[in-house]
Amino acid sequence: MVGKNCFAIASDRRLGVQLQTIATDFQRIFKIHDKLFLGLSGLGSDAQTLHQRLVFRHKLYQLREERDMKPETFASLVSAMLYEKRFGPYFVQPVIAGLGEDDKPFICTMDSIGAKELAKDFVVAGTASESLYGACESMFKPDMDHEELFETISQALVSSIDRDCLSGWGGHVYIVTPTEVTERILKGRMD
Amino acid sequence: MTKEHANWSPYDNNGGTCVAIAGADYCVIAADTRMSTGYSILTRDYSKICKLADKSYMASSGFQADVKALQKVLSSRHLIYQHQHNKQMSCPAMAQLLSNTLYYKRFFPYYAFNVLGGLDSEGKGCVFTYDAVGSYERVGYSAQGSGATLITPFLDNQLKSPSPLLLPAKDAVTPLSEAEAVDLVKTCFASATERDIYTGDSVEIIILNAKGVRSETEQLRKD
Repeated sequence: MVGKNCFAIASDRRLGVQLQTIATDFQRIFKIHDKLFLGLSGLGSDAQTLHQRLVFRHKLYQLREERDMKPETFASLVSAMLYEKRFGPYFVQPVIAGLGEDDKPFICTMDSIGAKELAKDFVVAGTASESLYGACESMFKPDMDHEELFETISQALVSSIDRDCLSGWGGHVYIVTPTEVTERILKGRMD
Repeated sequence: MTKEHANWSPYDNNGGTCVAIAGADYCVIAADTRMSTGYSILTRDYSKICKLADKSYMASSGFQADVKALQKVLSSRHLIYQHQHNKQMSCPAMAQLLSNTLYYKRFFPYYAFNVLGGLDSEGKGCVFTYDAVGSYERVGYSAQGSGATLITPFLDNQLKSPSPLLLPAKDAVTPLSEAEAVDLVKTCFASATERDIYTGDSVEIIILNAKGVRSETEQLRKD
């Protein structure tokens, strides 16, 4: 979700296989660099593999260009990597959030074969995506500061995942401003 | 080896969303007025709400032909009840009748997703929510239809209904005022309209309270 000169990215903490819960503290959001975060929902194995490949590509980029990747460039990289596997895709839906040039917030999501969806307000992905669309659409206001943004994204996330059987066990929220990154854990229904 | 399946279905989905909220002395029942089939719009002003009794209003989304048939069956059963008992059916009684009517067609169901709203015999708001075959529950609020998954988590957040498993049993009706509840319903439909293609055009809101019944219409996005 986008705020005034900041953004927030959040996920639930459950890792499950249909009705069985395997982990209640699964990390779904990964840091690429201080101002770029990637969330990956879907198949856990593909999420971890894709994350490893993207970190590799970004480290190479840092060595060659002597700087961090811009979020727009990173989004194009993810999109290209997903489309490479067009006929045998990674079963993931990425959510990319970062601060671009002049610390302007950038968010986007993609389907599993790399079709980018840029948005100015919020993007959602995962099994509870319909619920998240409803909750975010009702609760979002433009230009929120980082505290209000945290409250809004937390309420939207918790209400949506509490209504989804396959998501749950609380939430992870990252609030990123030009000067700091705050990570918080939310308590939700533990089922 | 595989069984040959019909390439004709007796059902269609005409889309739409219905919401109801119960208050301490009022009930709000709302539904959008768009009727669609596939990706086309059939009409922009179709009412999905039906008055079954003085204090019972039913909003139904799903297959409108089945909804119309269901409304006819319930209205005629209510008329018979009035002839036999010389009074209107109470909302909880209508709720049970609806459940039985739906289960009667357990093996060729009414493709109707219903929300029944009204006032009980004490004058408190009551909302009953159903699945297609008649499983029902009295709740403080409910949403059904294509926009239900978008609206329900937001209503959970705003109305914070207590779990029915808590002891001592807490009242499910919301402490919100009637005006606040109507505003909340309008917000829900505005948000659902943005993200659900089958919801929009306008929303018909029925407000039931001790003084009687009132109707409001709010325009929604038509795209």
